[in-house]
Amino acid sequence: MSWLSSRGSRNARAGGGRRQQEAATPGGPELHRSLALASLLEAMGKQSKLQVLDLGPAVGGNVEFLARFGCKLYIEDLYGALAAHGPRPAGEPDRDLRGEPASRRSSGNGLPHSREWADSALADRLFAELLPFPPETRFDAVLAWDLFNYMERREVSALARHLTRFCRPGALLFALISILKQIPAQPIRFRILDSERLAYEPRTTASRPCPRYAPAELDNWLRGFRLDRSFLMRHGIQEYLFVREQD
Amino acid sequence: MVWKKTDDTQSEPAPIPQRPLTAATSEPLRRTDRPPATVGPSIFIKGDLSGEEDLVIEGRVEGKVDLKQHNVTIGKNGRVRADVFGRTVIVEGEVDGNLFAQEQAILRQSGAVRGNITAPRVMLEDGSRFRGSIDMESKETPKPAAAVPATASPSPTSPPSPPSPPSPSSPTSPGSPASPAIGPAAAGPPPPAANTEVGAAVAASRSS
Repeated sequence: MSWLSSRGSRNARAGGGRRQQEAATPGGPELHRSLALASLLEAMGKQSKLQVLDLGPAVGGNVEFLARFGCKLYIEDLYGALAAHGPRPAGEPDRDLRGEPASRRSSGNGLPHSREWADSALADRLFAELLPFPPETRFDAVLAWDLFNYMERREVSALARHLTRFCRPGALLFALISILKQIPAQPIRFRILDSERLAYEPRTTASRPCPRYAPAELDNWLRGFRLDRSFLMRHGIQEYLFVREQD
Repeated sequence: MVWKKTDDTQSEPAPIPQRPLTAATSEPLRRTDRPPATVGPSIFIKGDLSGEEDLVIEGRVEGKVDLKQHNVTIGKNGRVRADVFGRTVIVEGEVDGNLFAQEQAILRQSGAVRGNITAPRVMLEDGSRFRGSIDMESKETPKPAAAVPATASPSPTSPPSPPSPPSPSSPTSPGSPASPAIGPAAAGPPPPAANTEVGAAVAASRSS
């Protein structure tokens, strides 16, 4: 919460960001406009029988909101799944998604942990195991939220490779990348309030350094997707929409 | 005679009208007034479970729970490894399996589900854990208004721009099978300069 609050107060002092950070309640979630979300929902509104993948945790409000689109929603809580995959001390800066330092990483199923992955096939195996979709699954939209902030480069690449198989050409990937120096130690819980506003609900007050991935880096790692548009927001979040390229 | 008739009606024994009433209301009575059957915390059932009354599971069930016309509640102590069919399915415990609810599926704060939910209405309370898919086979699926902002002013210093309509050059064409499923592939405004001050909303895209 603190990193958002401090940023918000800086914005307030600077006289900006009022329209993006609305009605912030002390101790409660912060509300921000999301232009990428608006673009995503606009695109979704034009389609029917959508299949949407939410890589974040289950949030009742989001389910309710997305139900308006008549979509089939997959909720995978990938961060939680990876955390369950191995022990995860929270808030360690030099740790991967599971929070384990390289020297102590091991996994019960013989899979090495991500930062030791010399062979990308192993990374692919991990995501195939954690996100075992039926082969015929074709997503129209993927909500990655701020998950990439908590992933290492090879993890992002492997995840993108996995998702590419299950996304139809033209599918959109929505991601929120922080440009701040510090981010919460765990991914934020995002709640869709309406077609252009998100509530940010940090799950911890602990923080960790942010990898601050650049647009070009993400574009390079997310093979199979291309950057469609991005929005740099005043509160330190760069919003992205990637689009799944044609096969 | 007349008085006798009235006398007859007045002395009509009560069970006569009650008989059909009982039959007609037996179903609602069973659902509303009768306490639900309970699988207690120490009970472990392996196999299919079916019946004609509401059910609360506080124990362990492995197999299949099939109470399509009735409410099924997996209580806080309940541990179910089964597909669950019910009118309303409420999960307060843990389910590893698929939920099929004719009316509504509710995942309480303490609940955890690993599986797929198929129901017209699904409610996930905050704090609940869920991994799987949710298919709300809604009969009517009203689309939200498409008038949401799609692009924003790239002005680096101005406050957020009001919503503007999507670019007409967007190739998204719902009716065209060759077009992408969703998502405009059109490039937005040119990316901002590297030293651009963080704006209200800076739209950028990669030229490809």
